[in-house]
Amino acid sequence: MQATKSFERAFLRQLLRVFRLSAVSYKSMSLQERKSAIKLSADVAMASARGSRKWTRGLIAKLSEEDEHRSFLRLILGTEYERLTKPCHGSWKIPRSKKIVRRSLRVCSRRKNNLRAPHGFKSSVLARTLVEKRTHALKRLVPGGESLDGYSLLDEALDYVISLRAQADLMQKLLTTFEASKLSALSKCTLPERKASFVGK
Amino acid sequence: MSSRGSSSRITDEEINELVSKLQSLLPESRRRNIGRASASKLLKETCSYIKSLHRDVDDLSDRLSALMATMDANSPQADIIRSLLRS
Repeated sequence: MQATKSFERAFLRQLLRVFRLSAVSYKSMSLQERKSAIKLSADVAMASARGSRKWTRGLIAKLSEEDEHRSFLRLILGTEYERLTKPCHGSWKIPRSKKIVRRSLRVCSRRKNNLRAPHGFKSSVLARTLVEKRTHALKRLVPGGESLDGYSLLDEALDYVISLRAQADLMQKLLTTFEASKLSALSKCTLPERKASFVGK
Repeated sequence: MSSRGSSSRITDEEINELVSKLQSLLPESRRRNIGRASASKLLKETCSYIKSLHRDVDDLSDRLSALMATMDANSPQADIIRSLLRS
Protein backbone atom coordinates (compact mmCIF):
# COMPACT_ATOMS: atom_id res chain seq x y z
CA MET A 1 0.00 0.00 0.00
CA GLN A 2 1.35 3.34 -0.95
CA ALA A 3 0.64 7.01 -0.76
CA THR A 4 -0.98 8.40 -3.91
CA LYS A 5 0.93 10.28 -6.57
CA SER A 6 -1.10 13.38 -5.82
CA PHE A 7 -0.06 13.15 -2.17
CA GLU A 8 3.58 12.90 -3.22
CA ARG A 9 3.29 15.90 -5.50
CA ALA A 10 1.43 17.94 -2.90
CA PHE A 11 3.98 17.03 -0.25
CA LEU A 12 6.95 18.07 -2.38
CA ARG A 13 5.27 21.25 -3.49
CA GLN A 14 4.42 22.23 0.07
CA LEU A 15 7.82 21.23 1.40
CA LEU A 16 9.72 23.32 -1.12
CA ARG A 17 7.31 26.19 -0.53
CA VAL A 18 7.79 26.01 3.21
CA PHE A 19 11.57 25.83 2.81
CA ARG A 20 11.36 29.01 0.77
CA LEU A 21 9.11 30.78 3.27
CA SER A 22 11.23 29.84 6.23
CA ALA A 23 14.40 30.85 4.37
CA VAL A 24 15.91 27.66 5.70
CA SER A 25 18.35 27.28 2.84
CA TYR A 26 20.08 30.61 3.18
CA LYS A 27 19.22 32.33 6.43
CA SER A 28 22.00 31.89 8.90
CA MET A 29 21.00 29.72 11.82
CA SER A 30 22.51 27.00 13.94
CA LEU A 31 22.51 23.43 12.72
CA GLN A 32 19.91 22.53 15.33
CA GLU A 33 17.64 25.45 14.42
CA ARG A 34 17.83 24.53 10.77
CA LYS A 35 17.10 20.91 11.53
CA SER A 36 14.06 21.85 13.63
CA ALA A 37 12.83 24.11 10.85
CA ILE A 38 13.21 21.31 8.32
CA LYS A 39 11.42 18.82 10.54
CA LEU A 40 8.59 21.23 11.17
CA SER A 41 8.35 21.93 7.45
CA ALA A 42 8.23 18.23 6.64
CA ASP A 43 5.44 17.61 9.14
CA VAL A 44 3.37 20.56 7.98
CA ALA A 45 3.83 19.51 4.36
CA MET A 46 2.77 15.96 5.20
CA ALA A 47 -0.36 17.04 7.07
CA SER A 48 -1.28 19.58 4.42
CA ALA A 49 -0.80 17.10 1.58
CA ARG A 50 -2.98 14.51 3.27
CA GLY A 51 -5.88 16.79 4.07
CA SER A 52 -8.33 16.33 6.89
CA ARG A 53 -7.81 13.19 8.94
CA LYS A 54 -7.79 12.60 12.67
CA TRP A 55 -4.02 12.30 12.67
CA THR A 56 -3.38 15.38 10.52
CA ARG A 57 -5.51 17.46 12.87
CA GLY A 58 -3.74 15.93 15.83
CA LEU A 59 -0.38 16.74 14.28
CA ILE A 60 -1.25 20.36 13.49
CA ALA A 61 -2.66 20.75 17.01
CA LYS A 62 0.55 19.40 18.50
CA LEU A 63 2.71 21.65 16.33
CA SER A 64 0.51 24.64 17.26
CA GLU A 65 1.25 24.20 20.93
CA GLU A 66 4.26 26.44 20.61
CA ASP A 67 3.34 30.09 20.03
CA GLU A 68 6.09 30.74 17.52
CA HIS A 69 4.98 27.76 15.49
CA ARG A 70 1.36 28.82 15.47
CA SER A 71 1.88 32.02 13.49
CA PHE A 72 4.21 30.20 11.14
CA LEU A 73 1.59 27.49 10.57
CA ARG A 74 -1.06 30.13 9.92
CA LEU A 75 1.20 31.69 7.34
CA ILE A 76 1.92 28.40 5.60
CA LEU A 77 -1.53 26.89 5.65
CA GLY A 78 -3.70 29.98 5.32
CA THR A 79 -7.39 29.11 5.45
CA GLU A 80 -6.49 25.44 5.64
CA TYR A 81 -5.18 26.12 9.14
CA GLU A 82 -8.61 27.21 10.38
CA ARG A 83 -10.18 24.18 8.77
CA LEU A 84 -7.72 21.74 10.30
CA THR A 85 -7.88 23.21 13.78
CA LYS A 86 -11.64 23.62 13.93
CA PRO A 87 -13.11 21.22 16.50
CA CYS A 88 -14.68 18.26 14.79
CA HIS A 89 -18.44 18.44 15.34
CA GLY A 90 -20.55 15.38 14.92
CA SER A 91 -17.56 13.10 14.81
CA TRP A 92 -19.32 9.93 15.62
CA LYS A 93 -17.82 7.87 18.36
CA ILE A 94 -17.89 4.20 17.64
CA PRO A 95 -20.38 2.76 20.06
CA ARG A 96 -19.06 0.18 22.45
CA SER A 97 -15.57 0.61 21.09
CA LYS A 98 -14.18 -1.74 23.70
CA LYS A 99 -16.33 -4.54 22.36
CA ILE A 100 -15.07 -3.87 18.87
CA VAL A 101 -11.49 -4.00 20.06
CA ARG A 102 -12.22 -7.30 21.70
CA ARG A 103 -13.91 -8.56 18.57
CA SER A 104 -10.96 -7.60 16.42
CA LEU A 105 -8.70 -9.32 18.92
CA ARG A 106 -10.68 -12.53 18.63
CA VAL A 107 -10.51 -12.27 14.89
CA CYS A 108 -6.77 -11.88 14.70
CA SER A 109 -5.38 -13.66 17.71
CA ARG A 110 -4.46 -17.31 17.78
CA ARG A 111 -5.63 -17.65 21.35
CA LYS A 112 -7.00 -21.04 22.18
CA ASN A 113 -10.44 -21.09 23.64
CA ASN A 114 -9.40 -22.58 26.94
CA LEU A 115 -11.34 -20.69 29.54
CA ARG A 116 -12.07 -23.68 31.73
CA ALA A 117 -8.48 -24.47 32.65
CA PRO A 118 -7.04 -22.06 35.22
CA HIS A 119 -3.80 -21.51 33.30
CA GLY A 120 -5.78 -20.79 30.14
CA PHE A 121 -7.72 -18.13 31.96
CA LYS A 122 -4.55 -16.54 33.32
CA SER A 123 -2.87 -16.39 29.93
CA SER A 124 -5.87 -14.79 28.32
CA VAL A 125 -5.89 -12.15 31.06
CA LEU A 126 -2.21 -11.52 30.44
CA ALA A 127 -2.83 -11.31 26.72
CA ARG A 128 -5.57 -8.75 27.27
CA THR A 129 -3.32 -6.64 29.50
CA LEU A 130 -0.51 -6.74 26.97
CA VAL A 131 -2.88 -5.66 24.24
CA GLU A 132 -4.16 -2.83 26.41
CA LYS A 133 -0.66 -1.68 27.16
CA ARG A 134 0.33 -1.74 23.52
CA THR A 135 -2.87 -0.05 22.46
CA HIS A 136 -2.01 2.81 24.79
CA ALA A 137 1.48 2.96 23.31
CA LEU A 138 0.02 3.19 19.82
CA LYS A 139 -2.38 5.93 20.92
CA ARG A 140 0.56 8.01 22.03
CA LEU A 141 2.43 7.47 18.77
CA VAL A 142 -0.39 8.32 16.39
CA PRO A 143 -1.14 12.08 16.53
CA GLY A 144 -4.66 12.61 17.81
CA GLY A 145 -4.77 8.97 18.76
CA GLU A 146 -5.60 9.55 22.41
CA SER A 147 -9.28 10.05 21.63
CA LEU A 148 -9.51 7.05 19.34
CA ASP A 149 -10.34 3.47 20.04
CA GLY A 150 -10.33 0.10 18.35
CA TYR A 151 -11.10 0.27 14.67
CA SER A 152 -10.58 4.04 14.38
CA LEU A 153 -7.17 3.82 15.99
CA LEU A 154 -5.99 1.09 13.64
CA ASP A 155 -7.48 2.90 10.68
CA GLU A 156 -5.68 6.14 11.51
CA ALA A 157 -2.47 4.25 12.29
CA LEU A 158 -2.58 2.65 8.86
CA ASP A 159 -3.05 5.98 7.11
CA TYR A 160 -0.39 7.62 9.27
CA VAL A 161 2.18 4.89 8.52
CA ILE A 162 1.57 5.16 4.77
CA SER A 163 2.06 8.94 4.92
CA LEU A 164 5.15 8.68 7.15
CA ARG A 165 6.75 6.26 4.73
CA ALA A 166 6.11 8.60 1.83
CA GLN A 167 7.50 11.51 3.85
CA ALA A 168 10.74 9.64 4.54
CA ASP A 169 11.04 8.40 0.94
CA LEU A 170 10.54 11.83 -0.54
CA MET A 171 12.92 13.53 1.87
CA GLN A 172 15.51 10.92 0.92
CA LYS A 173 14.94 11.64 -2.76
CA LEU A 174 15.28 15.35 -2.13
CA LEU A 175 18.51 14.79 -0.27
CA THR A 176 19.85 12.60 -3.08
CA THR A 177 18.93 15.22 -5.65
CA PHE A 178 20.66 17.95 -3.70
CA GLU A 179 23.74 15.82 -3.17
CA ALA A 180 23.81 14.76 -6.81
CA SER A 181 23.75 18.36 -7.90
CA LYS A 182 27.06 18.75 -6.16
CA LEU A 183 28.67 16.06 -8.25
CA SER A 184 27.02 15.95 -11.64
CA ALA A 185 27.99 17.99 -14.63
CA LEU A 186 25.39 20.70 -14.21
CA SER A 187 25.58 22.04 -17.71
CA LYS A 188 24.50 18.72 -19.22
CA CYS A 189 21.12 18.57 -17.55
CA THR A 190 18.57 21.37 -17.77
CA LEU A 191 16.60 22.20 -14.68
CA PRO A 192 13.02 21.40 -15.87
CA GLU A 193 14.22 17.99 -17.04
CA ARG A 194 15.75 17.24 -13.70
CA LYS A 195 12.73 18.38 -11.78
CA ALA A 196 10.29 16.44 -13.99
CA SER A 197 12.21 13.21 -13.63
CA PHE A 198 12.31 13.72 -9.88
CA VAL A 199 8.60 14.25 -9.37
CA GLY A 200 7.55 11.58 -11.85
CA LYS A 201 9.07 8.68 -9.87
CA MET B 1 -23.38 -8.20 19.56
CA SER B 2 -25.59 -5.24 18.78
CA SER B 3 -24.42 -1.68 18.63
CA ARG B 4 -26.53 1.24 19.69
CA GLY B 5 -25.92 3.31 16.58
CA SER B 6 -27.71 1.71 13.68
CA SER B 7 -25.47 2.83 10.84
CA SER B 8 -22.11 2.60 12.56
CA ARG B 9 -21.74 -1.13 12.95
CA ILE B 10 -18.37 -2.40 11.84
CA THR B 11 -18.31 -5.83 10.27
CA ASP B 12 -15.84 -8.62 10.94
CA GLU B 13 -14.90 -8.40 7.30
CA GLU B 14 -13.92 -4.73 7.61
CA ILE B 15 -11.84 -5.50 10.67
CA ASN B 16 -10.13 -8.38 8.87
CA GLU B 17 -9.34 -6.21 5.91
CA LEU B 18 -7.91 -3.43 8.07
CA VAL B 19 -5.72 -5.84 10.00
CA SER B 20 -4.49 -7.41 6.74
CA LYS B 21 -3.62 -4.06 5.25
CA LEU B 22 -1.76 -3.01 8.36
CA GLN B 23 0.13 -6.24 8.54
CA SER B 24 1.17 -6.02 4.90
CA LEU B 25 2.86 -2.70 5.66
CA LEU B 26 4.97 -3.94 8.53
CA PRO B 27 8.51 -4.88 7.56
CA GLU B 28 8.84 -7.96 9.72
CA SER B 29 5.61 -9.49 8.54
CA ARG B 30 6.58 -8.79 4.95
CA ARG B 31 9.95 -10.43 5.30
CA ARG B 32 8.85 -13.63 6.92
CA ASN B 33 5.39 -13.76 5.39
CA ILE B 34 3.86 -14.90 8.65
CA GLY B 35 0.27 -16.00 8.71
CA ARG B 36 -2.07 -13.85 10.73
CA ALA B 37 -0.21 -12.52 13.76
CA SER B 38 -1.71 -11.99 17.18
CA ALA B 39 -3.22 -8.67 18.17
CA SER B 40 -0.43 -7.85 20.60
CA LYS B 41 2.22 -8.64 17.99
CA LEU B 42 0.48 -6.46 15.44
CA LEU B 43 0.31 -3.54 17.86
CA LYS B 44 3.91 -3.99 18.93
CA GLU B 45 5.20 -4.06 15.36
CA THR B 46 3.11 -1.09 14.35
CA CYS B 47 4.54 0.90 17.26
CA SER B 48 8.09 -0.17 16.38
CA TYR B 49 7.63 0.74 12.77
CA ILE B 50 6.24 4.19 13.54
CA LYS B 51 9.17 4.85 15.86
CA SER B 52 11.67 3.74 13.24
CA LEU B 53 10.06 5.98 10.63
CA HIS B 54 10.26 8.89 13.07
CA ARG B 55 13.97 8.17 13.46
CA ASP B 56 14.43 8.08 9.69
CA VAL B 57 12.79 11.49 9.28
CA ASP B 58 14.87 12.86 12.13
CA ASP B 59 18.06 11.60 10.53
CA LEU B 60 17.07 12.96 7.11
CA SER B 61 16.36 16.35 8.67
CA ASP B 62 19.87 16.32 10.14
CA ARG B 63 21.39 15.55 6.78
CA LEU B 64 19.35 18.12 4.89
CA SER B 65 20.29 20.68 7.50
CA ALA B 66 23.99 19.87 7.18
CA LEU B 67 23.77 20.03 3.42
CA MET B 68 22.05 23.41 3.40
CA ALA B 69 24.56 24.74 5.89
CA THR B 70 27.51 23.86 3.70
CA MET B 71 26.01 25.37 0.61
CA ASP B 72 28.37 27.98 -0.63
CA ALA B 73 26.11 30.85 -1.58
CA ASN B 74 27.74 31.38 -4.95
CA SER B 75 28.21 27.83 -6.11
CA PRO B 76 26.35 26.42 -9.13
CA GLN B 77 24.66 23.83 -6.95
CA ALA B 78 23.31 26.56 -4.69
CA ASP B 79 21.73 28.09 -7.78
CA ILE B 80 20.12 24.80 -8.70
CA ILE B 81 18.74 24.38 -5.20
CA ARG B 82 17.51 27.94 -5.08
CA SER B 83 15.73 27.44 -8.40
CA LEU B 84 14.12 24.28 -7.13
CA LEU B 85 12.96 26.08 -4.07
CA ARG B 86 11.69 29.04 -6.01
CA SER B 87 9.48 27.21 -8.51
